[in-house]
Amino acid sequence: MTSESVRDRWLSIGMSVLLHGSLVALLAIGWWHFRHPAPAPTPPIDATVVDARTLKGVGAASTPTPKLKPAPQTQPQQTVPPPAQPAVGPPPPTPDELAMRQQAAQQEAQHEAEAQKHLLARQQAEQEKQAREEQDAEAKKAAEAKAAAQAKKLAQATKLADAKKKAAAKLAEQKKLAEERKLVEAKKLAAQREAEAARQAEAERRARVADLQQSLREEEQASAASGALASWQSELESRIQQHWIRPPTAQQGIDCILNVSLVSGGDVTGVSLGQCNGDDAVRESIKNAVYAASPLPPPPNNIAYPHQLEIEFKPTN
Amino acid sequence: MRPTPRAAALLRTFLAVLTAACFAAPAARAQLKLEITSGVTHPVPIAIVPFAEAPTDGTDVADVIQHDLVGSGRFTELARNRMPATPTNAADVKFQDWKAAGSDYVVVGQVTPTSGGQLALDFNLLNTLTGQSIARQRFVGTVASLRNAAHRASDVIYQAVTGIRGAFATRIAYVAIAGAGADERFQLVIADADGYNQHLILQSRFPLMSPSWSPDGQWLAYVSFESHLSAVYVQRVLTGQRTCVSMRAGINGAPAWSPDSKKLALTLSGDSGHPQIYILDLSTQHLTRLTDTPAINTEATWSPDGRSIYFTSDRAGEPQIYKIGTTPGSAPQRITFTDEYNAGPHLSADGKLMAMTTRDDSGSYRIAVQNLTNGDFRVLTHGRLDQSPSFAPNGASIIYAQRPGQGQAGILATISVDGLTGLSLKPTQGEVRDPAWGPFIQ
Repeated sequence: MTSESVRDRWLSIGMSVLLHGSLVALLAIGWWHFRHPAPAPTPPIDATVVDARTLKGVGAASTPTPKLKPAPQTQPQQTVPPPAQPAVGPPPPTPDELAMRQQAAQQEAQHEAEAQKHLLARQQAEQEKQAREEQDAEAKKAAEAKAAAQAKKLAQATKLADAKKKAAAKLAEQKKLAEERKLVEAKKLAAQREAEAARQAEAERRARVADLQQSLREEEQASAASGALASWQSELESRIQQHWIRPPTAQQGIDCILNVSLVSGGDVTGVSLGQCNGDDAVRESIKNAVYAASPLPPPPNNIAYPHQLEIEFKPTN
Repeated sequence: MRPTPRAAALLRTFLAVLTAACFAAPAARAQLKLEITSGVTHPVPIAIVPFAEAPTDGTDVADVIQHDLVGSGRFTELARNRMPATPTNAADVKFQDWKAAGSDYVVVGQVTPTSGGQLALDFNLLNTLTGQSIARQRFVGTVASLRNAAHRASDVIYQAVTGIRGAFATRIAYVAIAGAGADERFQLVIADADGYNQHLILQSRFPLMSPSWSPDGQWLAYVSFESHLSAVYVQRVLTGQRTCVSMRAGINGAPAWSPDSKKLALTLSGDSGHPQIYILDLSTQHLTRLTDTPAINTEATWSPDGRSIYFTSDRAGEPQIYKIGTTPGSAPQRITFTDEYNAGPHLSADGKLMAMTTRDDSGSYRIAVQNLTNGDFRVLTHGRLDQSPSFAPNGASIIYAQRPGQGQAGILATISVDGLTGLSLKPTQGEVRDPAWGPFIQ
């Protein structure tokens, strides 16, 4: 494995850790918001709760849900509360009733004041709530934006990771393909090598056979040449012996060397007496033998004509 | 490490090439070596071109030389009618022509008168194969010596080609019987080795026998019955001065000169009737007896070193040849064992061969030679009655007496020691016998 592939693997692992770490962090934040909501009036919160599953769904990033729609679409539903009290008409007043009504009016005023107070309080609460909601919305929005940003970031990270993963996968694929190609190439190469080796082995076998045949031919030729040479030597010796008129003094014990020069036609062109223990007649006779035998018989075709002969005259009886 | 197949193939190829080179190289460049272990004994072809001769006694020098050389058995001549030319000087000889005619040698020469009234014989021996002059010489002498000069030229040629000293200018002695009945005369004759130039040195009405040359060629010893009894004489050849050296009771026969010419081996029977071998000191007349057996002991001949004497003895029943030391008391040793009859020994000058008369199974008497080194025994002649062999001083030929047929007169003949060449000497009138070949003339 190359150092690049190692580096890629570590990068992938790092990206994966970062991605999962981010997810874990988002879940933790979501869980924390879920478990610790901001202090708010009890009225039911008409708000969109973002839960972990949503986040999870975001985390999945494959199927976006409407809950992740932008917050302004949900804002009107939160800002139009239904007017419950004005819709009910009051009965005709009596003294008592009026007192009562007064009282009642007072009470009502009181009540109304209280109600107003309550209303104000409620309005204030609503305003606060609204402010809080707005704040929450803002916070939520911010959180959502943050989440979205985080999601986006996460998505980007994921995308990046995916891209990287894809790249890594692609790289791995490429690597795999390369390896496969390499393997194929290697196999192909091996096959080629094997074929080449087989071819070479066959060539060598044929070369060996050829060499062997050549050696045999050469051996046969050498043997034939050797035999032909020996035969020719014998022929030369016989011819010279037939022309050597041995003088009586050429007895056993005589040993004379005669060097003979030849031309290609076999004609003797010169003789030179080397070591010789014979008398003048012996010396004369061996020279005569060679000259009288001239021209000497030609050698076989496969033997080059020697231009020098060394002839030893050594009678054995 | 095992060589790879390719390396092995290369190695094989290299070795094959090397092997081929080893075979090819000697033939291509180096000297091819041959060994000649035998040859032929053919006569050497030679052409003796007629000499340019001043007017002489008619002697054809070239013919004399040719007769000598061919008669030895060592040469064969080129007939004159086949000669490509008749040059008399070496400068005129075209070697190729003579080589083509089959002659290995050519002899050319001239006989020219000298200012002193003599004749000069010049000859040149030329080798037609090598184109070189082998021998050239001049002999000066009287007209009467021209034939001898020719023999001397033959000697030179013979030695140049064969390596053996020629013995043509030597002499022979023999006994001739002329006339018949009351006119019968016994003659002691000396002649040239070819039978020519005969000189009568003694004639007698009584038998003459067993001439023997002294090694110095000055004397002849022989047996004469001129006093009605056998006696041994020595005679100076040149002067004819003769001396009787033994006329003892009984047989006085078969004289043989010692190598130093101071003694004679004789056959003496004395009163006992049994011939024995003695040595006579010619200066002191002292006799030394070598044999003492109740048998015939005769025909003594000396070994070249003078330490032994070979003789004929029938002590074993039939005549055989024995050897005995020249110091008294030596024990004889039998030498011949082939055939039942071997007699009349004569040794070659080198002491290696002994010639004798042998009788074969058919009853014929022939000349045989025994090698004294290895005992080889070879019959040389094929006559009915061949006897009295005597070696030429060079040991190459033997002269002997031959009786061609019943009732025919005896003649002299020579035979080469290889038995291949025989030659009858110039016919003489009457009977000839007991030839003795003289020594080299100093």
